Amino acid sequence: MNKDQQTLHVLLIDDDAERATALSAALDKSRYQVSHLVGSESSLLKEVDSRQPDIIIIDVESPDRDILESLHTLNTVNPKPIVMFSEQEDTQLINQSTRSGVSAYVVGADVSNSKVKTILDAAIARFDQMQQLRDQLEESKRQLASQKVIDQAKVLLMETKKISEKEAYQHIRKIAMDNGQRMDQVAKNIIAIIRTLTA
Amino acid sequence: MSSLEKTQLALGFMPLSDCAPLVVAKELGFFQQQGLDVMLLRQNSWATLRDKLHAGLLDAAQMLAPMPFASHVGSGVEALPMRAPFVLSYNGNGITLSKALFDEVCEQLQMPAEEVLLEPVAASTLADVIAKRVQCGEKLKFATVFPFSCHYYQLTQWLEQGGIDLKDVEISIIPPSGMVTALADKLIDGFCVGSPWNAAAVRLDIGATILTSNDIWPGQPEKVLGVTKQWQEQHPNTLNALTDALRQASEWLKPVPNRFEVARWLCQAQYLNTELDVVAPALIGSCLTKTGVKPRDVIDHTLFSVKGQSNELSIEQGQWLLQQMQANGHIPATAQHDKVLGEVITT
Repeated sequence: MNKDQQTLHVLLIDDDAERATALSAALDKSRYQVSHLVGSESSLLKEVDSRQPDIIIIDVESPDRDILESLHTLNTVNPKPIVMFSEQEDTQLINQSTRSGVSAYVVGADVSNSKVKTILDAAIARFDQMQQLRDQLEESKRQLASQKVIDQAKVLLMETKKISEKEAYQHIRKIAMDNGQRMDQVAKNIIAIIRTLTA
Repeated sequence: MSSLEKTQLALGFMPLSDCAPLVVAKELGFFQQQGLDVMLLRQNSWATLRDKLHAGLLDAAQMLAPMPFASHVGSGVEALPMRAPFVLSYNGNGITLSKALFDEVCEQLQMPAEEVLLEPVAASTLADVIAKRVQCGEKLKFATVFPFSCHYYQLTQWLEQGGIDLKDVEISIIPPSGMVTALADKLIDGFCVGSPWNAAAVRLDIGATILTSNDIWPGQPEKVLGVTKQWQEQHPNTLNALTDALRQASEWLKPVPNRFEVARWLCQAQYLNTELDVVAPALIGSCLTKTGVKPRDVIDHTLFSVKGQSNELSIEQGQWLLQQMQANGHIPATAQHDKVLGEVITT
């Protein structure tokens, strides 16, 4: 099935029953399936764990916001896109919160109209984009670290074998090719061996 | 008096007993004497309090001591230069176990509750219970209030000092106001939280408070006043006036009898909106332990100043906080402590 048509499970945490009903109605017949929780009456962590929602909507003034924030910091549960309700359109706060892991905002009257769907779509897109960026960052960090190890091995080889940088590089590359290993793994082994021999 | 850049201030606080200096300065007119018209705005979550402070919707706020450092280095939020110009409180947290878990511990030790609770209880007493749970593929569940909090670091340190591997327990975040319900509903086996929530669990007869943060780290800063660097630079005289009023409040809070008076104010609807019998004990040096067992005398349970020290964060205290944050993986290993300290603790 196309990702855009998949049913997405929305966990809505709101003590305001009227607002919750309005939001559910606005999302009727869309790909979003809403389940409503009254925050003060249930354990959010347990619900997130058992329901595995695709997106969470919560009031910016809910005490449970700290629980959601911790999902990112402590990595106990896979992070989810978070959308917040706000009674007033407070651009400053909105800008700030989107810098602390909140994917989007639903403000005031938008709860009950077709804008909600657009906001949720945008939140998911933004969240996916952020996840990708995070993954890319991890990947480049890994690459940097492996480059550092290879450089270190090159220097050690140049010193011990009295060869040029190019030759040292080719040396590492050849071992990697011959053994089907990654170059940084080979480099690590070379460093370990040379250090043991010269210790 | 130098001229104030701003006189009407919005100050954020969380409904916890250690917001007392703010309440004292407000109720006794110390802010007013400094020419300040301070509005105390109760907040519901640390994350939203922080975002409002960063966004400038709050001029200043009561913060968990590690929070300004987390913001400054960009942990959990986009980095924003912060200042922590004043320590609002020291100590004040406690660790409470569910009644069921506490009973299990007493049984294991073959000691009556009164005897177990005479002294702070070490986490090593939980080792057997934890091992049994792990064998059944379960973990004891603990909760604390925020990742970047002394509570979190006190809980992990207490567990580790008792020889408990953190991998064998689960630690989650629950807001202070949700802690007692979570314990009553058996969603957690214990928590580390500030006042009045330990006392509330004991009064409801659902838990036993087995030690206080003063037993783990005596005399360490717990809450600080936080402002953004930008706000400090734009309002230097206002900030001085604000900290002068708070210094006066801390001074006023030194005698124990005064702390009973502040307990009465804290109970009011606009502050904690709760009962005196859960707010007062910690403030007057009493740690409620368990229903039917006499309270433990912890004279330094919750302090607003420490003898021989000023209420500015010292470099050593800041260093200590950063070390806890680093040990728990809450700030990057590459963070330059001296640089961060020099920036956040400028007075």
